[in-house]
Amino acid sequence: MKYTLEELLAVEISRHIKDGEMGFVGVGTGGEAFIRAVGIPAVASRLAQLCHAPNYTIMFGPILDPVLDAESIPETNFEPDLIRWPCRSQITVEEALCIFKRGKMGIGFASGAQIDAYGNMNIVCVGEYKNPKVRLPGPLAQPDHAAHAKRVFAIQKHDCRTLVEKVDYISATGNQNREGLAGGGIAFVFTDLAVMDFNPDTDRMRLRSIHPGKTLKQIIENTGFELEIPEKVPFTQPSDDRDLELIRTRIDPSKKWLNAEITKEPATLEKNV
Amino acid sequence: MKMERINKLITLKQAGEMISDGDKVAIAGSLIRRHPMALVHEIVRQKKKNLTILGWNNGIDFDMLIGAECVKEAHSSYVGLSNVGLAPNFRRAVQEGKVRFVDHSETCAIDKFRAGATGAPYALSKTPLHNDLQKNPEYQKEVTDPFTGEKWIALEAFRPNIAIMHAHRADIYGNVQLDPQRMMDNETDILICKSADKVIVTVEEIVEEEEIIRTPAQTVLSKFFVDAVVLAPYGAHPNSCDLRYDFDIQHSRLYRDMSLSQEGFIEYMDKYVYSSSNWEEYLEKIGKDRLDAITRTDIIRR
Repeated sequence: MKYTLEELLAVEISRHIKDGEMGFVGVGTGGEAFIRAVGIPAVASRLAQLCHAPNYTIMFGPILDPVLDAESIPETNFEPDLIRWPCRSQITVEEALCIFKRGKMGIGFASGAQIDAYGNMNIVCVGEYKNPKVRLPGPLAQPDHAAHAKRVFAIQKHDCRTLVEKVDYISATGNQNREGLAGGGIAFVFTDLAVMDFNPDTDRMRLRSIHPGKTLKQIIENTGFELEIPEKVPFTQPSDDRDLELIRTRIDPSKKWLNAEITKEPATLEKNV
Repeated sequence: MKMERINKLITLKQAGEMISDGDKVAIAGSLIRRHPMALVHEIVRQKKKNLTILGWNNGIDFDMLIGAECVKEAHSSYVGLSNVGLAPNFRRAVQEGKVRFVDHSETCAIDKFRAGATGAPYALSKTPLHNDLQKNPEYQKEVTDPFTGEKWIALEAFRPNIAIMHAHRADIYGNVQLDPQRMMDNETDILICKSADKVIVTVEEIVEEEEIIRTPAQTVLSKFFVDAVVLAPYGAHPNSCDLRYDFDIQHSRLYRDMSLSQEGFIEYMDKYVYSSSNWEEYLEKIGKDRLDAITRTDIIRR
């Protein structure tokens, strides 16, 4: 079966989710930003639960362990619908963030305007902090994810404006200096073109797999720094029919997640490919 | 002389007058949810100046106050319009150097309110280690854990002069309640209020004290914490108010589109805020049809 970029990423991410751990996803925003920060992690989470991680728990802001099958997914991500989303627990944001601070959060899903060779992320500004060229909305809980989660999974657009040698502002601590931090730092970067991880010896971003149909040349041209490229790089494993069937019938038939329909500001990542 | 019980119900205008130029004002609510917009409008109409505004996760509340030039400094983890995009006035003002914005992470901002609410001078965090959250050094210092020798960051407590919050209901004495079914993200509002010297709460409805006594577990702020109560139905619009009414995405898009230019924002403010002498007049401009369309009270289960 043919698959979309959103489906490829959701399936790939689901493979890295471990049974028994907990993952955190936000609830806000709309459009493309929502697809990366919320939609893809949501579908990946449910797919993991159905396929190999039945004891994986997901937290959407204050909504803890919701029912993730299509018929239970809210119509919108506005407040009255979120409040009535069937779930096992609703907790205060304080309590949710204490789970991070206590070192019990497995995966923090994150997305930012910039990410650099060492995995530092930025959603604060482009240009100088005190005199920015572009002011962005602010760090949200991203610094908390980066400090405390066992692993951070970043879902990013793949271009030279996003993947930069050095971010203009570090709003999430990367892998170069983590002295005193209990969290494990950033584990993977998933983009339109590839999957990256980090070389533990150099702390720099390293190509892990190339999405089917993409080329190494494309990746190098669209990365704003020198990516570490191992001698042999496999293709990202394509989504198989079982996974696509689950996504399209049981998890996300009306594209609330993967095309951000739930936000009422729908979008797609496909045009970036 | 016979002493009377204090009736704390005042008008929106009187509530605005409790805020002085230069005050540190903490604003409750998060993202597109339950920011006290009726009082934000009144602050703008009364042309307050040089405010420092504090929040943990903010949207149109911060954007409007900043656009209307009421603010010299703002603290939060986020200022944006969430589903409908970036906050245009905030963005413009920071880029033009008209306002100082101090970035905090969500936990850091909440920790600072908790420190204020518990009387502690600072909160401890590791979140700002090795990142640029330390770029505003007067608000945080590196400290050493006296037990282990580990390095931590001390975050100065938020101690606002005044906190403003929008809630579901209260009695005239200032006992404030939230409906049992609500978005738990906004529980931080209670900490925000407890960190402040004075508290003003706008509410959807005023109820008899007997109703409060019947449902005491719903009281999130006892009258002891509350200085003034203002009746402001739909007082969070266009933000949502739990199960009372939904986010008005239509009006939020209009606000965003008009705010893309300074001229457009002034036009918006003239039409909706400056030419309304009170909140009721603003609601008339939004229109009954629109308000009915976002009303969700039919689904409240008590």
